[in-house]
Amino acid sequence: MILTALANGSQHGYGIIIDVQEISGGRVRLRAGTLYGALDRLRADGLIGVDREEVVDGRLRRYYRLTPAGTRRLAAEAARLQAAAAAALTRLNLAGGW
Amino acid sequence: MTDQADLERGYRRLLAWYPPEFRRENGQEILAVLMAGARDGQRRPTLAESADLIRSGVWMRLRPSVPRSARTVQAAVRLMYAGAAVSAVGLIIGLALMIVDIQVAVRGQFLGRSLAAQKPFVITVSMAFGLVVVCLWLWMARANGQGRNWARILSTVLFVLATLQLRSAFTQPVSHAGFGVTVLYYGGVVPFVVAWVVGAAAVWLLWRPASTAFFKPPGSTQALH
Repeated sequence: MILTALANGSQHGYGIIIDVQEISGGRVRLRAGTLYGALDRLRADGLIGVDREEVVDGRLRRYYRLTPAGTRRLAAEAARLQAAAAAALTRLNLAGGW
Repeated sequence: MTDQADLERGYRRLLAWYPPEFRRENGQEILAVLMAGARDGQRRPTLAESADLIRSGVWMRLRPSVPRSARTVQAAVRLMYAGAAVSAVGLIIGLALMIVDIQVAVRGQFLGRSLAAQKPFVITVSMAFGLVVVCLWLWMARANGQGRNWARILSTVLFVLATLQLRSAFTQPVSHAGFGVTVLYYGGVVPFVVAWVVGAAAVWLLWRPASTAFFKPPGSTQALH
């Protein structure tokens, strides 16, 4: 979900929280501790990187972006979910449920 | 304005749960996110916010900093934490046995009074030794997780020492007490054997070719200091 939030450009921490909330239709509200734990792991795995840093109101604001490896991972993950969803829909149709 | 200052102080206090390096790197940013997400007029971190920060701060301190690519090292580090747990259990069993053992021995007059008087001393020394062993496991897990090559070598040396110790544990006579105590004695050796097996597996994993890539050569580690 964090990778999805970064898919169309770089974002800063709070931007990601807002974005994830929108993507999930308000169901997922990331907390700061959870978010930075995940960002740290994604950085260590080389899926995201720091795009640029800005100082806003005297505070450092870091913008994160997907790395090529992160883009590939997100694409693979999205394809997998799409395949799973397609399989589910096909079977529901066959069963006459829809 | 004072509300904001209070809230910020509260958040800062919670950030102390994080490891210092992580706080230096991300503290300001996390604080900015927390302040941006706060409700109007909020004066203190909420319970859920506190729980989230403490949980992830503690996790950051405890988790090994091994990238997922170095799976063998990750497994070795996990085994070492398991080794620490087994040793802690062994320490508790060992202490209980020692108390029972000495009591039985004194009652059966296998031990003289002078030896019985040394009981607190013997127990203190054993407890200190057991705690040192648990700490060594934890220290090795951490240092190996950070890719220190000396830790890999030291772990191996400690394992060899433990092997020698294990041999002597089986050759010691346990003839001074009754059957029950003898059984209990070997019961006490079980955690030690389990810890040894765990150690053997961890050392084997540490020297796999896949692990060697993760450990920095000694030259570059020295350059960091």
